[in-house]
Amino acid sequence: MGEPDFDSFPVVVHGHQFEDFPEGREFAHHWGRTITAGDNALFSTATCNWNPMHLNSEFAKAHSHPDVVVNPMLVLCTVVGLSVEDLSEIGGPFLGMENVRFHRPVHPGDTLTASSKVVEARESKTRPHTGIVTWHTEGHNQHGELVVDYQRTNLVAKKRPPKGD
Amino acid sequence: MSDLFALTGSNNYFEDFAVGQRMRHARSATIDEVENNYISKQVMNTAQTHWNEEILAGSPLGDGRLVFGLITGSMTVGLASQDTAENALGELGLDAVRFSKPVHHGDTITAYTEVLDTADAPDRDDAGIVRFKHWGCNQHGEVVCELERLVLIKRRSHWGAAIPETETETREVQ
Repeated sequence: MGEPDFDSFPVVVHGHQFEDFPEGREFAHHWGRTITAGDNALFSTATCNWNPMHLNSEFAKAHSHPDVVVNPMLVLCTVVGLSVEDLSEIGGPFLGMENVRFHRPVHPGDTLTASSKVVEARESKTRPHTGIVTWHTEGHNQHGELVVDYQRTNLVAKKRPPKGD
Repeated sequence: MSDLFALTGSNNYFEDFAVGQRMRHARSATIDEVENNYISKQVMNTAQTHWNEEILAGSPLGDGRLVFGLITGSMTVGLASQDTAENALGELGLDAVRFSKPVHHGDTITAYTEVLDTADAPDRDDAGIVRFKHWGCNQHGEVVCELERLVLIKRRSHWGAAIPETETETREVQ
């Protein structure tokens, strides 16, 4: 056995499982994220979204924006990303989203924060070790204004196997 | 300012979209280090299945890094963006977003679109709202993601005035 014995080091666990999601529970997610011009340029170009509203600031200004409009898919990905540790990091596959709404534009320098509430948590009929959880998540800017909200549903692992298993 | 409006195409104003219209978008894109590994971390997605090559080895989801579903979705929207949103004023939302198969590094996404609905914008007469259905398929022709998307798009009747008349005539002949 080598020293130190790394197998004996306990893992610092992050995240939640099915039993942690009673309906109505609310989460204020960690960290927040200021979206920079570089973030938007990298994301928009890497995803082949070369729209001048996202990448040409003079064009965006001619449409009454102070600067380029941050790609709403980056806004959505970031708000989901901020929620992952609390909601789905040790859970299971991402099944889908409903009612994603972009309420106001985000510009470089704006700071996003995310929060969620459990809408529904139910057993999976076909997978006894997992449940299906739906959350409503909101992303806000630094002024407390809602920029995006949506419902997301995942398969989520249970902590305890069912009896007799 | 008028030259700025020459920066975008003239065949994708609100009036150009008809319910039932279908498009296969000409460019496909391969998802690899920048698209998944980096962007997953850029957007603070802490699930290491997206950026740890070893964590899923031997799992039913397949070996190697699993692409974050919304990156596949963003790529599908991106590949469709010129043909659907070059003259957009804004993205309004998404509905019925589904991820039906795992995507891995090296997979190539092609985007397909159908126009589901067109409608007046409730609060302005210079633009209308188009509801698109998008599919993202992998290199084997399998659907890996699908979503509906609402986009606020300029009306030519209002915004098209910035285009020189001769240019419009040329395009109509084509």
